[in-house]
Amino acid sequence: MASPVIALSELCLTLESRAGPVDILRGVNLEIARGQSVAIVGPSGSGKTSLLMILAGLERPTSGTVHIAGHDFGRLGEDERALVRGQEIGIVFQSFHLVPTMTALENVALPLEFAGRSTAEAVARERLEEVGLSHRLDHFPAQLSGGEQQRVALARALSVDPKLILADEPTGNLDGRTGRGVIEQLFGLQRTRQATLVLVTHDERLAAECERIIRMADGRIVDDQRAKAA
Amino acid sequence: MTLATGTISDQPKRTSTWPLVLKLARRELAAGWSGFSIFIACIALGVMVITGVGALSDALRAGFERQGRMILGGDATFSRSHARATPTERQWLDGEGRVSETATMRTMARRLDGEDQALIELKSVDTAYPHVGAVNVAGATSYAAALADGVIADPVLMERLGVKVGDQIRIGGKEIKISAALVSEPDGLIDRLTYGPRVFASIETLMSTGLVQPGTLVRWRYALALNDGRGDTKDGLIAFRDDAKRALPEAGFSLADRRDPSPQVTRTLERLRQFLTLLGLTSLLVGGVGVANAVATFMEKRRKVIATFKSLGATSHTIFAVFLGQIMAMAAIGVAIGLVLGLIVPGILMTVYGNVLPIQPEISISFASLATAIAYGFLVALLFSLWPLGRAEQVSASVLFRDEVAPERVLPRWPILAVMGAAALALVGFTVFSSDSKLIALGFCGGLIVVFLVFIGLGDVVTRLARRVRGARPPELALAVANLGAPGGLTRSVVVSLGSGLSLLVTVALADASLVNELSARLPAQSPNYFVLDIPKADYPGLKQVVLNQSPAAVLEEAPMLRGRLINLKGKPVEQIKAPPEAEWVLNGDRGLTYADKVPEGSKVVAGSWWEPGYDGEPVVSFEADLAKLLGLKIGDMVTVNVLGRNVSAKITNLREVKWESLSLNFVMVFSPNTLKGAPHNYLATITLPKDASPADEAQLAKVLGKTYPAVTAIRVKDAIDAFSTVFTKIMTAVRVAGSVTLLAGALVLAGALATAQRRRILEAVILKALGATRRRILTAHVIEYLLLAAVAALFAVGLGTIAAWVTVSQVMDIDFNFSWSAVAAALALATGLVILFGGIGTWGVLRARPVPYLRSE
Repeated sequence: MASPVIALSELCLTLESRAGPVDILRGVNLEIARGQSVAIVGPSGSGKTSLLMILAGLERPTSGTVHIAGHDFGRLGEDERALVRGQEIGIVFQSFHLVPTMTALENVALPLEFAGRSTAEAVARERLEEVGLSHRLDHFPAQLSGGEQQRVALARALSVDPKLILADEPTGNLDGRTGRGVIEQLFGLQRTRQATLVLVTHDERLAAECERIIRMADGRIVDDQRAKAA
Repeated sequence: MTLATGTISDQPKRTSTWPLVLKLARRELAAGWSGFSIFIACIALGVMVITGVGALSDALRAGFERQGRMILGGDATFSRSHARATPTERQWLDGEGRVSETATMRTMARRLDGEDQALIELKSVDTAYPHVGAVNVAGATSYAAALADGVIADPVLMERLGVKVGDQIRIGGKEIKISAALVSEPDGLIDRLTYGPRVFASIETLMSTGLVQPGTLVRWRYALALNDGRGDTKDGLIAFRDDAKRALPEAGFSLADRRDPSPQVTRTLERLRQFLTLLGLTSLLVGGVGVANAVATFMEKRRKVIATFKSLGATSHTIFAVFLGQIMAMAAIGVAIGLVLGLIVPGILMTVYGNVLPIQPEISISFASLATAIAYGFLVALLFSLWPLGRAEQVSASVLFRDEVAPERVLPRWPILAVMGAAALALVGFTVFSSDSKLIALGFCGGLIVVFLVFIGLGDVVTRLARRVRGARPPELALAVANLGAPGGLTRSVVVSLGSGLSLLVTVALADASLVNELSARLPAQSPNYFVLDIPKADYPGLKQVVLNQSPAAVLEEAPMLRGRLINLKGKPVEQIKAPPEAEWVLNGDRGLTYADKVPEGSKVVAGSWWEPGYDGEPVVSFEADLAKLLGLKIGDMVTVNVLGRNVSAKITNLREVKWESLSLNFVMVFSPNTLKGAPHNYLATITLPKDASPADEAQLAKVLGKTYPAVTAIRVKDAIDAFSTVFTKIMTAVRVAGSVTLLAGALVLAGALATAQRRRILEAVILKALGATRRRILTAHVIEYLLLAAVAALFAVGLGTIAAWVTVSQVMDIDFNFSWSAVAAALALATGLVILFGGIGTWGVLRARPVPYLRSE
């Protein structure tokens, strides 16, 4: 079997709070193969988003190992993980998190520029066309609807052709119909690129569209099953 | 169907709003002061400077008044140049109280071997001196014993001449023993600017030196401890002054009493206080930008609260009053902190510089000083709060029912705009009213308004330009430019506050550089090397020959020199003349007087005509043109001066324009020779050595002159300028400190703007990190942004500061403007350093922030 894109071993995360230390993740072991789509579901506070942040290199575990696309995150500093993110990982947030002072085109071009691509603008233009926003290139986030903003965020996440796409409740702030459109684009683009998708969601129907569903509770993986669709 | 009893009206019922307003304001205040720290700091800083300046000035003045008797050496003094009191005058003085007589003059002290000499301030006293306080000496059993045995010398003189207590020195034509070292004297301040170390002698010793001849520049002073406690009350002193004027109508004495021992020092203190208060006001106004930002941010956070109030029936007036009440409560806290800190300033200065201050300050603060600081604090807080408050009160209740949209750009209601205008006018009015130089205060206010308007416009232009510039590369630059154009970004407030503060600093730095240049760099090319005082008329040809033997290329210029006091202008006593501040000095104390047959070098007649050589008609005088204009004098007017206790009146026949900076021998008044020729007098001369003369040549000339003519006094021009520069440097240090506070206010505004934008900047950095940006990239983007901001503000500040300095230096001070790159560079480095420092602290917080909480909660 080819080496997995994600390999986590005995992953623990403990955070300090006013009431004392809180165990967020308690010994998570997980491997995800290239090209797989995986949904992480569970009640609020179960550790889903924290797990996603560790996969993105935005949070460091208290203990355990994290290997992403062949990189041992435990050995990398903050800036080295940022470089890995810029080249290998695309993230889609529930609240879109576009840079408000930049146009849609500039937002999408940004990761490409960070990665030093000379064709950043042309590629960004293509990505926006792929998500159907070629007519909104020079619009600022505040001038776009919620659905359009999320599609810009999707184009931005996929701009560098990442091996790994991380999505945190990508339809959480959208109405049903708009959310459906974004999800279809997300899955379509993931399949086309053969990227690995990790999707955190509360929506069981959405989770069922993934090849694998991981259920979390109280900081642990309590169930790991192949979805029917797979 | 019948209606229930009661009245139905179309008009909604209005209830008294004030109790409700107070209740709501109190509740809102209880919710916390978050975000007001910069607001409070901005007000406190400006109020602190104004209070500090006022408190220090009050303390010095109180010390001055309370120690007036000590400073003056008695209840009242009579002083006059050249002429000692006549027996009749002395008899009258002795009848009024105990009298002590002193004579002060500048002369030379020399080593007996003639190898070295130094200019000294010789003070000769009688046995009654001092009435108040004591002269402290070292190296002798007592002051009285030391005075009987020889002279008491400042250790600085002994060090300079390489002599010690017990050695002999030569003063005038006499060898005198140094009997003790001077530790302190009680009334030194009254002798104003001194050029050399002090030497005390008895009047008998002075007379034995042969220095006092008719025409010698010696100032006689008579200090009185008045009989019957007349000096203890204000009324007694006023009555005494009236008696003196009646008894000695033409004596030509300058009269001072313990209430204001030195009107000149009092006036200088007052000028400095007014000027530093203006700088304090500037820092308060710069801080006003921080006030406006803080209020805008606070009101932005309260948008939904305001909308909720409105949806529940509150009127705009009620909302305005509730929030204005809160803001003024915050202003009161800032004012209170500023007052407390400002009141501590004199205490700190006294602790640190207690020994250096010329008078012992006494903690005292006047109501006027406190009222000034409080009024400025509240007026600035009101002026800068009203705009954001007036806009926020118009928030529509519909905000509650729809998503956040970009706030409309609305103007405050016209009554609020009118109040803003009234507050601005009150500020200008108060500033002008409380200043002696109304025109300068008005110019200062006008300049400040122009500077603020320019930077407000500049901030707007930069923001708009940054929004239009797209596609900048590399991405760090694009990020920096995007931040400059960001809504709620730093650009507007930082450009205004930093730019205004820096403009003031550049103005002060350039004015300072021009003055220093005027005092030092410009002088050597055209100024003489020595001023020689007290040359007896008969000795002048011989002295000239001695100089030419020593240095054949030397140029000498001489003029008769007397000192006298202006008594009367156009038939009006000078005490009754209200002269503009820049001309007051002419009317106070003694002035140098001369006579000449032809127009002196370095001046030219601009009105009227010069008298014929050998003129022998009625007494006539030539007056300096600028001062004549300030004093309202014109050709044909009569002026009266008192010389040697005699009143001399002369008619103005021409006005001269004088180039004072040439340091040629020049005088405000030049009389026709027949007017003053009869009065005994000496000559004043300048000696200009060739340009290649070395300091050793200068010293050798002084040595030879000293040996040949021991009674003449040669003052090295460079030493005189150095003595003035020392005083000037101290004043400029105070001005620079006050100016720097303005920049500190700018830095506070920057810190406030950064704090306001911090959450947005952290979120942006977190997003960038999530997209693969390293910390170095984010840091670079921030540094570029700060440098662009500093560069834009600095560029315009240098331009405006240069214009302001040029106006101040060339139009108000009337000296040549000199642009100094180093002064500008120092101001710019300070500004850039501050931006990088405060920006760096903000960026450090941005880079250290954990991304997860921001990504989760948004």
